[in-house]
Amino acid sequence: MSLEQIILAYGMIPRGVIALVAGAALGLSGAILQTVLRNPIADPTTLGISSGAQLSLVLTTILAPDLLMAGRWPIAMSGAVLAAALVMTAGARRAFAPVTMVVVGMLVALTASAIATAVTLAQGEYLLSLVIWNGGSLVQQDWSGVQALTLVLSLGGAAAALLARPLRVLSLGIEGASGLGLNVAAVRLAGIAVAVALAGAVSAELGLIGFVGLAGPALARSLGARSIPERLVLSTILGALILSVCDGLVLIVAGTSGEMFPTGALTGLIGGPLMIWLLPRLRGSTPPGTEAAEGPAPRRDRPMPLLLTLLAMLLAAAMLLVGIGRVPGGWAILDAQSFADFLPMRLPRLIAAASAGAALATAGAILQRLTGNPLASPEVLGVSGGASLGFAIVVYAFAAPSGAMLYAGTMTGGVIALAVVGAYVFRRDMPTERILLAGIAVSSLASAVLSAMMASGDAKSWTVLAWLSGSSATVLMPGALGLLSVASAIWIAAVAGRRWLAILPLGHGVSAGLSLPLRGARLSLILLAGIATGAATVLVGPLSFVGLMAPHLARRFGLALPGLHVTGAALIGALLMTLADFGARMAGFPYELPLGLFASLIGAPWLFWLIMRGQR
Amino acid sequence: MTTLFSINDLCVDVPGRRLLEGVTLDLPRNRVIGLIGHNGSGKSTLLKVLARQIASTGSVQFEGTPLPDWSAREYARRLAFLPQSPPSAEGMLVRELVALGRYPWHGALGRFSPEDDAYVRVAMAECGIAPFADRLVDTLSGGERQRCWLAMMVAQQASTLLLDEPTSALDIAHAVEVMRLVRKMCQDRQRSAIVVLHEVNMAARFCDHIVALKDGRIALDGAPADLMHAEALHDIFSLRMEILTRGDGQRVAVPA
Repeated sequence: MSLEQIILAYGMIPRGVIALVAGAALGLSGAILQTVLRNPIADPTTLGISSGAQLSLVLTTILAPDLLMAGRWPIAMSGAVLAAALVMTAGARRAFAPVTMVVVGMLVALTASAIATAVTLAQGEYLLSLVIWNGGSLVQQDWSGVQALTLVLSLGGAAAALLARPLRVLSLGIEGASGLGLNVAAVRLAGIAVAVALAGAVSAELGLIGFVGLAGPALARSLGARSIPERLVLSTILGALILSVCDGLVLIVAGTSGEMFPTGALTGLIGGPLMIWLLPRLRGSTPPGTEAAEGPAPRRDRPMPLLLTLLAMLLAAAMLLVGIGRVPGGWAILDAQSFADFLPMRLPRLIAAASAGAALATAGAILQRLTGNPLASPEVLGVSGGASLGFAIVVYAFAAPSGAMLYAGTMTGGVIALAVVGAYVFRRDMPTERILLAGIAVSSLASAVLSAMMASGDAKSWTVLAWLSGSSATVLMPGALGLLSVASAIWIAAVAGRRWLAILPLGHGVSAGLSLPLRGARLSLILLAGIATGAATVLVGPLSFVGLMAPHLARRFGLALPGLHVTGAALIGALLMTLADFGARMAGFPYELPLGLFASLIGAPWLFWLIMRGQR
Repeated sequence: MTTLFSINDLCVDVPGRRLLEGVTLDLPRNRVIGLIGHNGSGKSTLLKVLARQIASTGSVQFEGTPLPDWSAREYARRLAFLPQSPPSAEGMLVRELVALGRYPWHGALGRFSPEDDAYVRVAMAECGIAPFADRLVDTLSGGERQRCWLAMMVAQQASTLLLDEPTSALDIAHAVEVMRLVRKMCQDRQRSAIVVLHEVNMAARFCDHIVALKDGRIALDGAPADLMHAEALHDIFSLRMEILTRGDGQRVAVPA
């Protein structure tokens, strides 16, 4: 065979076939998940399953490469199963409410990718191969991948055929189905197992290919597939077509030079807008997504002493942490002279970290009250995603971007994301929880584009990666004071809007009955949260969980009234971020860890605790 | 003037369905008006139109002024609306919930004056919840909670109350207790109430005036006595009902 013939036989043809097979597997997986969960926006991406597989592969590659001897399959599968188990456990405690499931899934996905980023940053030499895998490249060198996926697809298809009838009974809902004698738990478990196996197999072979499982079934439904067997079959076929078309586009656009451009990035590009289109079409009959967060939280009669204590702790922590440092061989407390010398260096980053924490916490408190959903947080508002995208575009588009250009790009990205989400607020009767989903859609769109950019393997992706993980080391005094004034302004605005924050959780009817300007109030609160998030993102990167943790802690400490809640959350957020900054400075001495990354590593366990607590 | 609402050729459409069809109706002032009808008859829809919560075609006048001409705040000062199954007021004390009723008066930033406080106290006393003022709303029983929401409406100083199935989640004793309170609130203080009710006998017993809807049209507009006839009930619910007369002359309907 000539070289061209070899490339055709072992490169191009397998690639074409694997696009069909993988697309079919993802389409089927999405269709099964949507049927089992009765959730039209469930798919391996939105439920965090693909990200779980991704994280386990990244971790294994870097930390224990020997395990890869047995192949990537077992590792990807176990990651997928773990992520699915986590999300399903959370869902089971919340009656599988669609919006909550997706919020949990996306939080799991975001966390997984944050950890993956952290590890990647720490071990740079593997970067290139990993990001290409992360992006979902369809490049093939032989037929083994096709064979493996075909086997999984046929097994999955057979299982789906067996499950079709129980699934139809399940579509009546839990009570109805068990009334007909169906073992609901077993059918659910079987369905989810098949879906996870299909998605995990694709992840192991090709990497993260997002949203095909969302698009296939959505298209099948809009083409009029009504019965469950129809839907399963049509979704499978459409999934295969979608991935093939996407891969064809990649080949045409990128040509031979861009052979490594991951197709998964393109499907992500399609997935974000698709979710935004699907959201208003979600049926209203789904179980309520709002939930009583953690049962009756305590309520403090005299909140002032608590707030003052928090303030005192913040100031004390700031003073103390400036004064403590690690020296080679141990710890040291600075004497007065060194303290005076170090203060100008450490003060800006301290102010910046505390302000970022306060801003994120305020944004989180506002969002949780606005949506009545305790899992709402600035991370899922989409602002951070848009901001990261803006930053990345500036890095790639200009040869040597100045700081001001980067800042402008970041802000523009955040504002555009905010505008998309804001457009949702203006829709009549749009439940606030769906505003969250719009934010999630924007986030996933942004992360898809980001991974595509990084997959180019350019040295510039380092700049972006480093920024994504957030660092306070380079902050100067003017920037820190700017952030401080933004945080204070937002705190004042939130306290001034405390009556809105008290009435809005009571729902549309009560709010309108009390002459609250519903759209105006929602829009201005979303804007407020967005600006706070955007300003903090510039410093700590897109993920920190402070916006999720601080409002919860404040509520747990008994701060029930909106004004006090917001204030307490801001103080706790500032405190947490100050401590995280100290930790980031000390943990890897003499090197610094990125602040945002360190904060997420503290925040992630909290998140899982919160998810697992669930509803009483 | 004795007309509270003057409704002319009111229609409400959702994609693919017409919920209210050419409703023309005058509702009297200072009465407890019961809105009844089968499921999906449009009774809640009508109430939401009157509360300005959903869009409609046709004209509705409240106290002689067309609905779109009212400012949101003025409207909320004249009329209070309680949605079906009010949400849980997480972490809120009873007096704080009732104080939310002052929002149309002080707005988002205005001062909560001693006068506002006085109205809150009066409202809690009127609805008999003053003893619970410092309890968490979540810890009260269903009937007590519903009285808190009624107190919030009283604190709003509105002379018209719109209630969407205020008794649907309550047992019979609490339902009667709430309806008695609504009736007393209207009789003692010259208020008007429009109440969506499920139960015919409850409507006949506690309302002065009945409006029945069927498939989005008016099926009956009259006194409770007009309702308590087998033919009238059959027209509304398409069900044969038997009318029994109690010892005190009150008539009750039971399915035949």
